[in-house]
Amino acid sequence: MTAAPLLTVEHLTMRFGGLVAVDDVSFTAETGNITAIIGPNGAGKTTLFNCLTGFYAPTSGRMRLAHQGGEFLLERMEGFRIAAAAKVARTFQNIRLFRGMSVLENLIVAQHNELMRASGYTLAGLFGLGIYRHAEARAVERARYWLDRVGLTARADIDAGSLPYGDQRRLEIARAMCTEPQLLCLDEPAAGLNARETGDLNALLTFIRDTHHIGVLLIEHDMGVVMSISDRIVVLDYGRKIAEGVPAEVRGNPDVIRAYLGEEQGSEMGGAA
Amino acid sequence: MAARSSASVPANDILRQSALAGLLVFGLAVALVGVRIQDGSAAALAPLHFRFDDVLTAAAAAALGRFGVLLLRAGLHAPVAAGGAAVALAVALAQWFAPAHPLRLALLFDVAMPNWLIVAFAAFLALCAAWRLRHAPVAVMQGADARESVMDHLGAQVQRIARFAGPLILLLAIALPLMPFADRRLIDIAILVVTYIMLGWGLNIVVGLAGLLDLGYVAFYAVGAYSYALLAQNFGLNFWICLPFAGIMAAFAGVLLGFPVLRLRGDYLAIVTLGFGEMIRIILLNWYQFTGGPNGLTGIPRPSFFGLPFTASPPEGTHSFHTFVSLIWPIEFSPNHRVVFLYYVILALAMITNLFTLRIRRLPIGRAWEALREDEIACRSLGINPTNTKLTAFAIGAGFGGFAGAFFATRQGFVSPESFSFIESAVILAIVVLGGMGSQIGVVLAAVLLIGLPEFFRDLHQYRMIAFGAAMVGIMLWRPAGLLAHREPTLRLSTQGGPP
Repeated sequence: MTAAPLLTVEHLTMRFGGLVAVDDVSFTAETGNITAIIGPNGAGKTTLFNCLTGFYAPTSGRMRLAHQGGEFLLERMEGFRIAAAAKVARTFQNIRLFRGMSVLENLIVAQHNELMRASGYTLAGLFGLGIYRHAEARAVERARYWLDRVGLTARADIDAGSLPYGDQRRLEIARAMCTEPQLLCLDEPAAGLNARETGDLNALLTFIRDTHHIGVLLIEHDMGVVMSISDRIVVLDYGRKIAEGVPAEVRGNPDVIRAYLGEEQGSEMGGAA
Repeated sequence: MAARSSASVPANDILRQSALAGLLVFGLAVALVGVRIQDGSAAALAPLHFRFDDVLTAAAAAALGRFGVLLLRAGLHAPVAAGGAAVALAVALAQWFAPAHPLRLALLFDVAMPNWLIVAFAAFLALCAAWRLRHAPVAVMQGADARESVMDHLGAQVQRIARFAGPLILLLAIALPLMPFADRRLIDIAILVVTYIMLGWGLNIVVGLAGLLDLGYVAFYAVGAYSYALLAQNFGLNFWICLPFAGIMAAFAGVLLGFPVLRLRGDYLAIVTLGFGEMIRIILLNWYQFTGGPNGLTGIPRPSFFGLPFTASPPEGTHSFHTFVSLIWPIEFSPNHRVVFLYYVILALAMITNLFTLRIRRLPIGRAWEALREDEIACRSLGINPTNTKLTAFAIGAGFGGFAGAFFATRQGFVSPESFSFIESAVILAIVVLGGMGSQIGVVLAAVLLIGLPEFFRDLHQYRMIAFGAAMVGIMLWRPAGLLAHREPTLRLSTQGGPP
């Protein structure tokens, strides 16, 4: 496969006043790969996600997304267009479900644009035409598929806000997948999960990668998750990329160890505990 | 507050809190109730009239009431049931049988109303205590959570019942003008209530579904009313042609308001919409060449029954409603015909609003509104265009306000800016909030409570607004989500077929 990579980030910089949150970061992410972005707290990982998904306009740099749907320059698109047209879906570090709506409704809302078209921008739906009813039935089928994958079928009709924490995390991933994305950005999906739930998450993410063949970007602090499922790892520290490679390379990289554990004894800065 | 338990509270603590409640009421009432400035001829004799006996009565009543509530919380159900019943009975008897007895006048209020309030509260307390005596385990489940779950359950029940009762209520509403007791006054009140139900349902789209707090809804009502009035006066168009125009104009006004406030939420949005409502009113007040200014517009044409006017003596060779009907079934002219017709018009408009809302809740746009209310950022991450979604909510909600406004203009035959003051917006919002945001049947209940009851209880005159205020405060304390707030999912997996 010599085609262009799914996502190419070039010289991305994001400044907030004097603070450089993301500093000249370049990397690529491939379809069918899980690319993990790791780094200590405040390294700029979530800011990078917010740039990618249109919540921030980057100060400089380029983000190119290429798949069968076309080529998109993400830095020039409005936030909701990135999700609707460029097919980038994301989850949030603090879960953002529609808590007052049912689990199933969360997944149906994710298919909004498709259903809007099917409902003739509400007119056909208002008069109850068959075309909309079929589209809705298809949407429910897709929702059911993902509910089965994340094991929430039995709880489809309760409020999303009343689910336990781990289920909410999985529901957010299912909701992102219902938009049929080409690139899925997950912001700390394993945060707050217990060991069994983390295992389920690993299985779910590898299933998404292998069966649906999309690109996955993963911010994660749980090194167990990162090392066992990611195909490539990008390491950020103070906004800069300090390492990139397959898990084995990154694990042995002295810069990475220094960023996580502090300076080694005898180095020029002296031991920062 | 929620941590109060049914475990025993120390006795001196109960006494202290009761005394504090009495003291608090004493402090609040001593100036407001205790001293009254006389006017007229009485002022010459004594400029101030003191009513400290009433202040003491109020303080004692508050202390006693608080004492009862605390005893109830401490689990002493039997004494509270007995004591509450005794107090209620004693005050009621004194009020009923000895209105001028000196002992009663010394111990109780001179006016009847507060005494009846004491009776009502004591009786309520006694009933609570008696109920808990019989259903002891429920008393353990306490605090705000229990009340929420009970009320939510109630809301769910009412909504389930409403599915069957709704058509029944509609039938009753249709039959209302045909009832023997339906006089002119009753139908006028009914028209008023249904108008507010329609406005409540319209605002429910903006506030209840899309979660955009709109304090200036009356502006769209005004735009609709003036659109109809001006179109009818300047171009001679009839009501039925103007009605859609009035709705469209109001919808445009909604978009106009929507654009600048797209980024605002919550308090900030409320302030801007409040300002917008006032702007429309002030424009109507000052642009007198166009809107007639403070004099308003008069002589707005009344609606006709498919071209047949409601007049006593139509011009030679034409028919009016009663002469036309008389061709089939002889009837006399009656001014009530028009009122009844107006009632059916607003009932139909309100039902259209209701059916539209029920339908659109189940369509993608309706779900997107609700999703936007829940979390706008998540909506954007799912590719929902927040701009379009918000603007359609504003436009559609405003459009229904415009329809109601056109109806208002044709009913009154006269519009002036006075009818569109902020208090109207507040009442409509109160209907939506009181009923339970997003609850259609809740709006009906709240409109009947807020509009219908005060109209019926005009005899209470100055206590009317106090009762209104007290009811609102009570709702905010005990049921902030509204009386019948309960949300049913718009679709269920279990009813979609497939494996169970």
